[in-house]
Amino acid sequence: MKPIPVGQQAAADELTHEQWEKIDAVIAAYRGKPGALIPVLEEAQGISGYLPEIVQRRVAGGLGIPLSQVYGVVTFYSFFTMKPRGRHQVRVCLGTACHVRGGHLLEKKISQGLRIQPGEVDKDRLFSLEIVRCVGACGLAPVVVVDDDTHKQVKAARVEEILDGYRNREEERYA
Amino acid sequence: MLKKIKSFEALQDIARQVAQDHQKYRLRLMVCGSNDCHLTGSNEIIDEFQKQIQQRNLEDQVQVVATGCIGSCSMGPVMTVWPEDIFYMKLQPADVGEVMDSHVEGGHPVERLMYHDPNTGQAIAHSADIPFFARQHAIVLGNKGLIDPESLRDYIWQNGYQALHKCLTALSPEEIIAEVKAAGLRGRGGGGFPSGLKWEFCANTKGDVKYVLCNADEGDPGAFMDRRIMEDDPHAILEGMVIGAKAINASQGYIYCRAEYPLALERLYAALDQARSMGLLGKNIMGTGFDFDIEIYKGAGAFVCGEETALMTSIEGKRGTPRPRPPFPAISGLWGKPSILNNVETWATVPRILFDGGDAYAKIGTESSKGTKVFAVTGNINNIGLVEVPMGTSIGEIIFDIGGGVSGGKQFKAAQLGGPSGGCVPAAYLNLPTDYEAIVKAGAIMGSGGLIVMDEDTCMVDMARYFMDFCQDESCGKCTPCRVGTKRMLQIVENICKGEGRPEDLDLLESLSHTINDASLCGLGQTAPNPVLSTLKYFMDEYRAHIEDKKCPAGVCADLFTSPCQNACPVEMDIPAYIALVRAGRLADAYKVLKRTNPFPGVCGRVCGHPCQSKCRRSQLDEALAIKNLKRFITDYVPPLRPEPIPVVHPEKIAVIGAGPAGMTAALEMKKRGYAVTVYEALFEAGGMLRWGIPEYRLPREILARELQEILDTGVVLKTNVKIGEDISFDDLKSDHDAVYIGIGAQKSSPLGLSNESAAGVIGAVEFLRDYTMGKDVWVGKRVAVVGGGNSAIDAARTALRLGAESVTILYRRERKDMPALEAEVKAAKEEGAVIDFLVAPLEILVSDGSIKGLKLQRMRLGDFDSSGRRRPRAIEGQIVRMEIDMLIPAIGQQAELDFLSPATQIDDNTKDTVAIDAGGNTILVNKDYSTDHAGVWAGGDIVTGPAMVIDAIAAGQKAAVSMDRALREAKGEQPWKETEDKIEIPVEVDEEVETLLQIRIRELSTAERSRNFSEVELGYDEDMALREARRCIRCDVKTEA
Repeated sequence: MKPIPVGQQAAADELTHEQWEKIDAVIAAYRGKPGALIPVLEEAQGISGYLPEIVQRRVAGGLGIPLSQVYGVVTFYSFFTMKPRGRHQVRVCLGTACHVRGGHLLEKKISQGLRIQPGEVDKDRLFSLEIVRCVGACGLAPVVVVDDDTHKQVKAARVEEILDGYRNREEERYA
Repeated sequence: MLKKIKSFEALQDIARQVAQDHQKYRLRLMVCGSNDCHLTGSNEIIDEFQKQIQQRNLEDQVQVVATGCIGSCSMGPVMTVWPEDIFYMKLQPADVGEVMDSHVEGGHPVERLMYHDPNTGQAIAHSADIPFFARQHAIVLGNKGLIDPESLRDYIWQNGYQALHKCLTALSPEEIIAEVKAAGLRGRGGGGFPSGLKWEFCANTKGDVKYVLCNADEGDPGAFMDRRIMEDDPHAILEGMVIGAKAINASQGYIYCRAEYPLALERLYAALDQARSMGLLGKNIMGTGFDFDIEIYKGAGAFVCGEETALMTSIEGKRGTPRPRPPFPAISGLWGKPSILNNVETWATVPRILFDGGDAYAKIGTESSKGTKVFAVTGNINNIGLVEVPMGTSIGEIIFDIGGGVSGGKQFKAAQLGGPSGGCVPAAYLNLPTDYEAIVKAGAIMGSGGLIVMDEDTCMVDMARYFMDFCQDESCGKCTPCRVGTKRMLQIVENICKGEGRPEDLDLLESLSHTINDASLCGLGQTAPNPVLSTLKYFMDEYRAHIEDKKCPAGVCADLFTSPCQNACPVEMDIPAYIALVRAGRLADAYKVLKRTNPFPGVCGRVCGHPCQSKCRRSQLDEALAIKNLKRFITDYVPPLRPEPIPVVHPEKIAVIGAGPAGMTAALEMKKRGYAVTVYEALFEAGGMLRWGIPEYRLPREILARELQEILDTGVVLKTNVKIGEDISFDDLKSDHDAVYIGIGAQKSSPLGLSNESAAGVIGAVEFLRDYTMGKDVWVGKRVAVVGGGNSAIDAARTALRLGAESVTILYRRERKDMPALEAEVKAAKEEGAVIDFLVAPLEILVSDGSIKGLKLQRMRLGDFDSSGRRRPRAIEGQIVRMEIDMLIPAIGQQAELDFLSPATQIDDNTKDTVAIDAGGNTILVNKDYSTDHAGVWAGGDIVTGPAMVIDAIAAGQKAAVSMDRALREAKGEQPWKETEDKIEIPVEVDEEVETLLQIRIRELSTAERSRNFSEVELGYDEDMALREARRCIRCDVKTEA
């Protein structure tokens, strides 16, 4: 294995030995298959939570394709992220149905409450905020999806209540 | 090990077994277990039913099944009881016991949980009778609510895989393609390319390896039909793909599904496993020797991958950018091999076509668009959900008949068709048929079938911004016109939304649109400008309002206003300020705030149509603030001001014709600016329609008198009993004054246009109300009919009842929801005993001895849509009824009396001495600043707009005064006037916790107390009520730093 370049040590340290092993296993399983890059990145992100440069290098080296191509694909698809995510993913749907039913007000409210912009993670790495374009739950608009929970017909005044639910869960975990 | 299916009989055996299994049960409770119903708690419903069935030992008789989506997503959780077809909606776990007791065990369906017709309030038991379902034509969604989406056996029970068997054993590839061509099937994903033709190209291309692809990258926001098909009927897709494979002789297929659809993926994987294990997929399918398998490919989130060549590039593991065509994928597609790509809905339609035959399918739909289409109907609409209708069904039918109309009682503004790169069409297009070509002609596209309904609170410029934002975000970047152009367009539209737009931006947007459309490689770029082009085409006035007036009429673009209520008010009253002052107990200051922008707050506190309340942010939480009532409260509790006369500082003299709200406001505003102002009123008192048209039980005289006096106290001179054109000629008035303002209103009732309208007992609503108010001896019949649906009709009806009519019937040609009258007025009229008969129009006035004896009435029904988005009333032939009456009050509109404008003044061609009048002779035509083409003459109020709200007339008077003053000063080279006002400090006090709390209801006289008198019905708030109501304001005008 190539040594990790200076400056990427911090990012590398975020991944455990076990995670690296899993990523390598994924790469090995797909090596030589046509069109393997995207499924590999999907699985790698599932393991490491995000795709920092160090992981992209590993994938490029493992599959024998240029790093530029890996980087090109990672930045092209919205599913991939190079930033770490919070423990809870808050996704505000701004599909058209949610937009006309006030989804943009929710985005503003959550953004203000967490003091982060979409695409960012809050300082405790508890929540990260993302904008999504339609989760196909238009009948329940506007929706906010936190992790796997879809919150329906959310009103701006109720946003904090929803987030508090997750905060309390965290406190219980550590209590 | 499951037995593989190798014959038609084997399929039929399974179908028979499943049918027998079902027949074992007396009742089958089919609970919708799809996404939306699941999220509203269908799981708990299912668990509770199962528990209770067990407790009651009914397992042998009653079965609970979690079905796929039945499309009525906003009614969820829903359930249908088979075989009776009883439909229940909005179920709660607590309802289960009642359904079990009363229905399952007692045989009596529970009416409370059924669908209720919103018009009649009647419960409808059977789903087949509910308009939402009855008007649909389910083909591709044919299995909805019938099958367990995870059961292949259920799919086979509904004739599944029989079409495939036919294709593999009895039809040649050419014959399969011929059937698809005969069906006229066109791609349901957006392009609408004939599927059979595409298959034929591919079949005719030489090659050993060919691919069948399914586009399941449903990325259009607001479209979720493909998701539902994958989740609820996955085998239909697989069966369609195998048939396609047979037609082009392919052995490998891919489904490209977006990763955002986890349940769809799960069900697809499961369906693939089931199909393989039963010999319906893989090697030697159904024992026929045909091999074909399918792999699922998860998309990583890029809208452009819905484009066919981009999708293929993505499967190849690269950035999903489109490729130039030709070569078309049918010649060179995935990995350079001949490929056919269709979307989920198209593939799921294929088995149905092959099962019933192409000709049968082609019988449905229009000439160029055959079959049915699934629409995802969302946005501001009552019945959000999936609907499948024959092509050609009008969008109005989908929105109003199936969709149940606009939610929250709001007005329809636009429908957005075809996803982000579709277009918005206005109310005038509700008759538009859903046909590929017709939709394109209207400036939108069919797309994948997203239909988003937008109400009056939607800003169309903001919508254009929203869609441009989406398109520029999703542009793959390959073509410069799309990558850079969409970004520039977004910037321009964003600037317009911020109030920084320039007039020339509109042309720039249009030319950029055409460039992007012409020069982009794929459908995304070519159609990306559509939302801007279609909104420019249909909603130009909203762009103008943003650019020229820096106003967002819908109250969406936050940079252009501080609070939505103030933004909605025609005179921009500072509503949050006076409500805050009520809360702080500073009523005198609150009154000053009212008076700054409105000389008639006491009047408006009683009779205003309150557009402010319809935009109140609080309504998103529970209910709008009662702004009107709070305004009245302030005027009730603060003593009249005694304004000092304002000195005259200008030599110019101003004449105002008509002492109604428009005229008196214009007079006051000119007085404030230091002019000598004289108001000429034809009748013996000032007030106009406020005095003569609005009955006292709504607006007591002393309230109006007080506010008129406050205007006169400033030194405005009022001359009553002076009729211009009789007592003084218009030309003389003109030559005696430097500026003239015409605010005479519309003083005559419009006739019905029937013969015998001059018979005794027929009197127009305006004349009836005015005669009574003037103290004339007014005759009132015993049986009275009022024709019309506006506020005058209601006023006339309630006045007739008070004056002793035994029965009053209001005849209206449309439905309740179409009545322009205020909701509260209609309610009060009914409480007081008026009857409203809808869908009826007078046909003939029956007379005997010169007096009215009755009416012949034509029964109406609602037909197609007019340009206002309401359905046109149409006569129902042969349905004519008679009604005996002795008094008829037409209240269908008002006309003006403009004879005083001498012929010379009216028709003085091409000189600057013309007051232009519209063709109907009822309104004066004015410029944007309320000036007429006659130099020195301005006009406003009902005489310009036709009957409108008081607050509109007040606004008109104010705007005209600004323009008059400017014109007079500009002539002298002076700067325009600027108002100096006392600074009133506005407190900011908000409740920490916002609790759900409805409006504090106003006190009212009981119906008994109202009988036969004109005492004011509404009694206003007391101090405690006002304080509680004021506390409900969430102060959305206060901007806090993030």
